[in-house]
Amino acid sequence: MTNNTIQRNSGTLPHRLLRRQWIGSIALASLLTPRLFAQSSGAIAPRAKRVIWLTQAGAPSQLDLFDYKPGLATQFDKDLPDSVRGQQRLTGMTSGQKRFPVAPSLFSFQQHGQSGMWLSELLPYTAKFADDLCLIKTLHTEAINHDPAMTLLQTGHSFGGRPSFGAWVSYGLGSENADLPTFVVMISRPSGPTNAQPLHERMWGSGFLPTKYQGVRFSSGKDPVLYLSNPPGMTLDRRRAMLNDVASLNQLAYSELQDPEIQARIEQYELAFRMQSAVPELADLSHERASVFDRYGPESKKPGTYAANCILARRLAERGVRFIQLYHRGWDQHNDLPKGIRSQCYDTDQPTAALLGELKERGMLEDTLVIWGGEFGRTVYSQGVLTPNNYGRDHHPRCYSIWMAGAGVRGGTVFGETDDFSYNIVRDPVHIHDLNATALHLLGVDHTRLVHRFQGRDYRLTDVHGQVVKEILL
Amino acid sequence: MMPLFRIGVTVVLALIAGMACGDDRVEFDREIRPILSENCFHCHGPDESRRKAGLRLDVSNTFDRKSFIERISAEAGDERMPPLESGKNLTPKQRNLLLRWIEQGAEYQPFWAFTPLIQPPLPDLIANTPPTNNAIDWFVQAKLDQRGWNLANQATKFRLLRRVKFDLIGLPPTPDEVDNFLRDESEDAYERVVDRLLASPQYGERMAIDWLDAARYADTNGYQVDRNRELWAWRDWVIDAFNANMSFDQFTIEQLAGDLLPNATLSQQIATGFHRNHMLNEEGGIIDEEFLAEYTADRVETTASVWLGQTFQCARCHDHKFDPFTQRDFYSMKAFFHNVSERGVGIYANPIRRNAPPFVQLSTPELDSKVASLKKKRDEATRELDDYTSTAKKEWKPDLSDEQKQAEQKSLESQPRFVELTAAVAKCKKEVQAAEDEIPTTLIMSESKPRKTYILDRGAYDKLGDEVTANTPAILPPMSDALPRNRLGLAYWLVSNENPLTARVTVNRFWQQLFGSGLVRTSEDFGTQGELPSHPELLAWLSVRFRESGWDVKQLMRLIVTSHTYRQQSSATQAMHDMDLDNRTLARGPRHRLMAELIRDQTLAVSGLLSQKIGGPSVRPYHPTGLYEQVTAGNGYNVYVQGKGDELFRRSMYTYWKRSVPHPAMLAFDAPFREFCSVRRSRSNTALQALNLMNDPTYVEAARFVAARMWNEGGSCIEERIRFGFKLLLSREPSEPELQVMVAAYNRAKDDFSKDQTAATELLSVGENKRELGIDAIELAAMTTLATTFMNLDEFISK
Repeated sequence: MTNNTIQRNSGTLPHRLLRRQWIGSIALASLLTPRLFAQSSGAIAPRAKRVIWLTQAGAPSQLDLFDYKPGLATQFDKDLPDSVRGQQRLTGMTSGQKRFPVAPSLFSFQQHGQSGMWLSELLPYTAKFADDLCLIKTLHTEAINHDPAMTLLQTGHSFGGRPSFGAWVSYGLGSENADLPTFVVMISRPSGPTNAQPLHERMWGSGFLPTKYQGVRFSSGKDPVLYLSNPPGMTLDRRRAMLNDVASLNQLAYSELQDPEIQARIEQYELAFRMQSAVPELADLSHERASVFDRYGPESKKPGTYAANCILARRLAERGVRFIQLYHRGWDQHNDLPKGIRSQCYDTDQPTAALLGELKERGMLEDTLVIWGGEFGRTVYSQGVLTPNNYGRDHHPRCYSIWMAGAGVRGGTVFGETDDFSYNIVRDPVHIHDLNATALHLLGVDHTRLVHRFQGRDYRLTDVHGQVVKEILL
Repeated sequence: MMPLFRIGVTVVLALIAGMACGDDRVEFDREIRPILSENCFHCHGPDESRRKAGLRLDVSNTFDRKSFIERISAEAGDERMPPLESGKNLTPKQRNLLLRWIEQGAEYQPFWAFTPLIQPPLPDLIANTPPTNNAIDWFVQAKLDQRGWNLANQATKFRLLRRVKFDLIGLPPTPDEVDNFLRDESEDAYERVVDRLLASPQYGERMAIDWLDAARYADTNGYQVDRNRELWAWRDWVIDAFNANMSFDQFTIEQLAGDLLPNATLSQQIATGFHRNHMLNEEGGIIDEEFLAEYTADRVETTASVWLGQTFQCARCHDHKFDPFTQRDFYSMKAFFHNVSERGVGIYANPIRRNAPPFVQLSTPELDSKVASLKKKRDEATRELDDYTSTAKKEWKPDLSDEQKQAEQKSLESQPRFVELTAAVAKCKKEVQAAEDEIPTTLIMSESKPRKTYILDRGAYDKLGDEVTANTPAILPPMSDALPRNRLGLAYWLVSNENPLTARVTVNRFWQQLFGSGLVRTSEDFGTQGELPSHPELLAWLSVRFRESGWDVKQLMRLIVTSHTYRQQSSATQAMHDMDLDNRTLARGPRHRLMAELIRDQTLAVSGLLSQKIGGPSVRPYHPTGLYEQVTAGNGYNVYVQGKGDELFRRSMYTYWKRSVPHPAMLAFDAPFREFCSVRRSRSNTALQALNLMNDPTYVEAARFVAARMWNEGGSCIEERIRFGFKLLLSREPSEPELQVMVAAYNRAKDDFSKDQTAATELLSVGENKRELGIDAIELAAMTTLATTFMNLDEFISK
């Protein structure tokens, strides 16, 4: 592209992702995102067509779910050695604590699958898919508080203003469904009485990218999408008739003014009308078989739960929605962790596994990237009083666990190694930028090329960092 | 397919432009610096720490020409520049330009935006004299001359009226205004409208909206806790300042440093809320210093963006990669903003409810006397209790032991009278507290003991580098020695005659407000990576004029909106759109979608529901149920309690702005989150916007009132009523085909609703305003459908 074009587009149109390497469905891609497919030189073969990001907000404890540390059993209530803690900054919640007593996990771990992956007893359903999971034990972040950490995880920067992962993907790859948004977000609250960390619209926002790339939030109830349903007395037929009039009048205005924005408006009204049918059809679970609800568990019949959202995630994936993001809140167990985490796993384990199972049976796990994880990990030492049956854990950014599955991810693998206290990384650190670079790679996008010019510089999801973690790819 | 097509056209245009000046001298500013900036400055620019091979290409021309030619000509290998791994690439055309530049002597020009602001003479016109004496038109026509084009005709009067009303007061013309203006054939009819609008109190409201974005105004603190704050008095100060036509230099000084003015008034203190608009973190576990570093950095970046048009955030962690600003410059600027008596953790004052210090109370005589009388009551109750106690104690035997005294005290405290009096005192104290809490507050700046300021290594709050003192960026003309090294001195420096940026940047933003984009389209970036002005001489001329007028904002606005350039018709042929899609030549008038606030405001206006009240605490209009609860912690201050009565119908700039969940209709129409300074909104065109306009109860309810107006004020037959609808909603008469569409629509809807009366009643039940309209339900429902149709037209939401 010429320099001219770059400048012309700055701030209003995407301009520099012209190296989209994905060749598939050119016709549809050209229909929906004419700017964003291009020459195939240096192509990365896309493995994932879509992403399902199962965000566990509040930070699940890696020590009680994934990072098995049998040696800790003998360390109960002993002080975490200073040599381990090093210069790690503490949050205001525990900086006043006199001691940092080690709290071994109360939960037992077993090996699962052919790979023999160690997983906690809290995840009996997920464990059945051990051979599909790639467990990364060495994800790390700089942020130690929820809001900056979640913002960093989602946007590649700990302060607001940048586009979210989903926004970058819709900007770069566009939609495969002409009737639904490209990027859908669903939020669920914990069923148990646990502290649900607040989220922020910016976490799925489009930052400096045009607003159309922002995540569209689906919620339970009358309006799965804000302002979707017609007011009382306005049937779909009446709406159609009214929209025909709107289109006729807009067309008359266009013939006079010739402003291409008017044409775009006509198209967006048509999309809105199609969404008015497509979204309720999508959100209507009444035709799902009883066995589906059995599989996703007792919560799945309650609209708005994580389980119900998992069913919706599968339905969205079936319809070609590019980026599907669930947020389940309530993982912030500063105290009473055993009770809290049990309740969180009750909410999430069975439905997560059911989703993986359904995707697999439909052959969709092949080209769907599933990611499960939170914004940071939790400390090995107890926050507050430690007893044999109870403890809490504070925020821990130095290492934590997440898993990926599907689309080109090497299943049945554990990547990275932490020390005996799950406090420091011993081998193979993976930064959030690396995770994002890897996810984009699986989508067939070079993370250094998906850029947007804003305030005079080219921005990207991975800022100036990020290495694809090749070892975990098939 | 349009965007692809657009790009194609631009490329062609660029090529044509390239050919047209093919034999002339290469122009460094326009043709060379952008290439160097894009491809070379990253390693050979202002950032000393990253500079490779000691080579600098941004300022001097002492580099080895031969080597330069070789390196940029190399196709591959280690020699190639820019290196392959940078991902950057010179096109043959760019390479050719660079070679020609070298051949012609490789001359540099100082970067345009930093050069002294000098007013250029009016251009010599070749062909056509514009229809006015307005200098703007001369400059614009001079540029059009290069293409052999002319300014377009003036827009039709009704379109012009609509345009200027939205631009100056943010509301559409009334049907009477349209009629009067159309009838008024006097020469200065338009100018008189402009003067009336500039004098209207709603002018200040309209002007304030853009400033609120720049100042990142919101009603909550942001971050995770995102609690309520009070700063609306500052917002009202902005409205008042625009209405009073406060000069822009004074506007600057009071907001940045009103508290430091001699004998600062309360109003001048309120003005300093500008730099308390940043976010405030209350999350447990944060570190004071860390967030003080955030707040002060935000002030530096906002100041640089709003007054200097510079992207200072780059220099927070390292010297700027493209522009001549160092990390030292950043922290020297920070020193101006580092002495505020504030804390990094946004703990509220006691009582924990309103604002993080420093703030002032904004009492009224009524509130004062209420508090005073309650305090009197409290004091009386206290005295009564004291009297009772001391009387009782007098009866105690004189030589009691401590133990006995305690027993007596206990017995006293169990007396019914004592309990009663104690309860009365407690109740009075509570009442005083409640009354004091009714007194509004507003955040302000105030200086405390100076803090030391250090360069922060990589921007990290705990990695202190050299100590710095308050100073302005080295590349810009220095602060006069006479100025104090504090915020007040900084403010005076910003508006000094020597500062080349403030006037340019400010004029450009006002231009953007009227034309949809600035003469420099990147209004946030007047640096080397920003766009060059489309009309450099015009920008310079206007900037000098603005400064020399005494920074008179109304005069500037008047000058622009009375130009023929502004008054041109916006319609253009497809070919014209193709040749200049974004209207960079200004060969037609501005036409674009209204900003979020104005879409709702005009709807309320045409329905007659709009409240005229200006200012005051923010209000909570209709809002989707459960939205806050889904996203936020869902505790007390995170519940949306819908307002009542007129609060539902205030202008949108008064809608409560919660940073973590801004009103969804605002977000849908491209309002920023207001977490950071934003001087330019995008303008998208989405299905969510369509859904909002079709189904938000705001619009469904307003449609009923619009329908009633069409019915009652439009005339006696359907056709007349529809004609009135066109005038009310679109400020014009319909064409015959348009009228036919609407008449047919009415007949269809009426027919339809008469078969389904329940539906008609239901449609008419939406919203809190249940005023009886006295029109047959079927006819009103049919007319409401028509009103909805109007309100979903591109024309309705465009100016």
